Amino acid sequence: MTAATTVKSVSVEEANRRKLKQALVAYSFIAPNFIGFAIFTLGPIILAMIMAFMEWDGSNPWKFVGIQNFVTIFSDDRFMASLKNTVIYSIFTVPLTLIIALGLAILLNQKIKGRNFFRTVTFFPYVASLVAVAAVWNMLFTPAKGGVINQLLINIFHVPALKWAASPKTVLMTIIMFSIWKNMGYYMVIYLAGLQNINTELYEAAGLDGANVWQKFKYVTVPQLKPTTFFVIIMLTINCFKVYDIVYMLAGGSNGVINKSAIVLVYYIYEEAFRNWNLGIASAGSLVLFAIVLAITIIQFSGEKNYAND
Amino acid sequence: MKKIVSSLLVASMAATSLAACGGSSTTATTAAATTAAAAETKAQEEKATEAATEAATGDAVTLKWALWDASSITYYQPLIDAYKADHPNVNIEMIDLGSTDYSTVLGTQLSGSGSDFDVVTIKDVPGYMTLVNKGVLEPLNDKIKEAGIDLQQYGGITDQVTINDNLYELPFRSDIWVLYYNKDVFDKAGVAYPTNDMTWEQYDELARKVTDTTPGSEVYGAHYHTWRSTIQLDGILDGKNTIVGGNYDFTKPYYEMVLKQQQDGVCMDYATLKTQGLHYSDAFAQGNVAMMNMGSWFIATLINKIKSGEYTDCTNWGMVKYPHAEGVEAGSTLATITALALPTSAPHKDEAWDFIKFVTGENGAQVLAETGNIPAMTNENIVSAIASMDGFPQDDTSKDALITSHTYLEMPANDKSSEIETVLNEQHDLIMTESSTIDEAVQAMNEGVQAIIG
Repeated sequence: MTAATTVKSVSVEEANRRKLKQALVAYSFIAPNFIGFAIFTLGPIILAMIMAFMEWDGSNPWKFVGIQNFVTIFSDDRFMASLKNTVIYSIFTVPLTLIIALGLAILLNQKIKGRNFFRTVTFFPYVASLVAVAAVWNMLFTPAKGGVINQLLINIFHVPALKWAASPKTVLMTIIMFSIWKNMGYYMVIYLAGLQNINTELYEAAGLDGANVWQKFKYVTVPQLKPTTFFVIIMLTINCFKVYDIVYMLAGGSNGVINKSAIVLVYYIYEEAFRNWNLGIASAGSLVLFAIVLAITIIQFSGEKNYAND
Repeated sequence: MKKIVSSLLVASMAATSLAACGGSSTTATTAAATTAAAAETKAQEEKATEAATEAATGDAVTLKWALWDASSITYYQPLIDAYKADHPNVNIEMIDLGSTDYSTVLGTQLSGSGSDFDVVTIKDVPGYMTLVNKGVLEPLNDKIKEAGIDLQQYGGITDQVTINDNLYELPFRSDIWVLYYNKDVFDKAGVAYPTNDMTWEQYDELARKVTDTTPGSEVYGAHYHTWRSTIQLDGILDGKNTIVGGNYDFTKPYYEMVLKQQQDGVCMDYATLKTQGLHYSDAFAQGNVAMMNMGSWFIATLINKIKSGEYTDCTNWGMVKYPHAEGVEAGSTLATITALALPTSAPHKDEAWDFIKFVTGENGAQVLAETGNIPAMTNENIVSAIASMDGFPQDDTSKDALITSHTYLEMPANDKSSEIETVLNEQHDLIMTESSTIDEAVQAMNEGVQAIIG
């Protein structure tokens, strides 16, 4: 009796130890990645959350200032402009990129001649170096009346020339157009993968039921692509709120200073942190950005759950 | 097993943190290595021999010098060579931080305790103010007194960067703004050259005279680089106004003049220049620009690129003093200084200070002048050394152009200079792209800057 209990308890202990060992081995495998994440991502995030309530220039001692940094940024023209521009940029870029990427994916999913060539052409802007294509783009969309695109506008469409990235009225539009052109190829590839996963029997069945092309698209393609669309929307939205490089390249000019007409949140954060050395204000700005992205993601995730319950 | 796992963890943690600490210095060394390799293989060979000598003598010191554009700026290596001739046991390693974001990168490197620079170059006054406010530069007053350096030799420019009675940098280069012109363009148009005593009205008239707006063979009477300083700062040369004062009404006449020129095709369109990022030297080198206002740093570039055969359409150039407002003495111009400073974290402070004294003193000035640059410390010998340089225009007007009556810093020392610059840059851009009227933009400058300086 006693012997049996001992054996049993020993084996339980043994099992627990084995479990622990397995867990530790598993942890040791993720350790290199996690330690990197903790040092370079998690640490700075926590630090930024603390720093948002401090005044710090990078060298002198920290000073606690309460919510003063948030008061400062929400009364700062440049911050409000950056918030507004980022939201406008996202509102236009997300749906337009999505629709164009889906359209291209459907077109290039047909059996047409030179399909792979056109797929490459569409994907190329995404892989090309941003600096190089931005330089070419700036040449095409030069504000001079003799510029390629302006000549087209004047001679073919008979509308006045535009100043594109050089004018506060059109700079955001130019950035949005560039962003769509640059990124549509990437999302097209994701949609292509989604399209090829759709069972062709569904289309055949719909065809037997007398569905036309539009009905097939609406009742088969769109619902079947829901998970892909969900993924694309999340990635696009987050990337839109993080936009920086495109704006810097197109609107930065020769001294790298971005005006209120084109400033975006991430640029504002960079400017406050490393040009003006107000690290507290910059951290407050990044917390606002974090809150926005978090809120959008939560809303989209709950939307996804509703899909699943349908 | 547990032990193995935990020691693994510790080891990987240590490795990561080591990598983190080493990050900045590794990049720096790599940058330096690349630069050195690109710039001068000879220097490396010398370094090798140097290292051998050092190993023999035993007390070698390597100073790390933070700077920009090591491969294209012509005086770094001659300065180092001249210094090493007298100090064989000192090695100087150039660390190139790039020119675009130099002040930002330097500020980041000197924050915290990650840097081991012995000498840092200070590019502009806002960058200087940032570092002084951060408390990362060594105050130099005591050292200057001890070394018996006479600050008068810098022509009063050190007074403008003295903060709370203390000086944290010593200038070695002091550039002034002049008006460059292409003699061929004037000859072709049959118009007399500009002179050393011109008002802005005369300048405008002259620019219009040489301008040709025939499509395909345009000649631009004037060229303004996209910097706000090319126009905005023309207004401070009467000595009555300052760029950090909060009232910018004085810039209006200059904006009116340039905007009118832009509309009439006298100068290139700002918006196009901005988006295409055309460099001012390339604009001038095209050979269809008659006059261009620019700093004296352009002299060395012009001389060298004409010598190397890269510039063929502006070989016959000259320069005159900056135009001036009515009633202001000719020779009033903008100045900008390049200086050396000693970081508080410098590992070899004494040797670094000795090097700073050398570069900012008479010997350094001589080296700068020989390479076509204007040293901060000037006397007659130095001016004649520059003017006698091979490739420098030989007319008397060009030689006299370097003599100034009053100089004003492009950006005076001010705590809020980088915030002020943001406002001024933005409104400059709006005026020049004709997105705002001059009155609206100047109003916005006044309000924006007053809100900053409080």
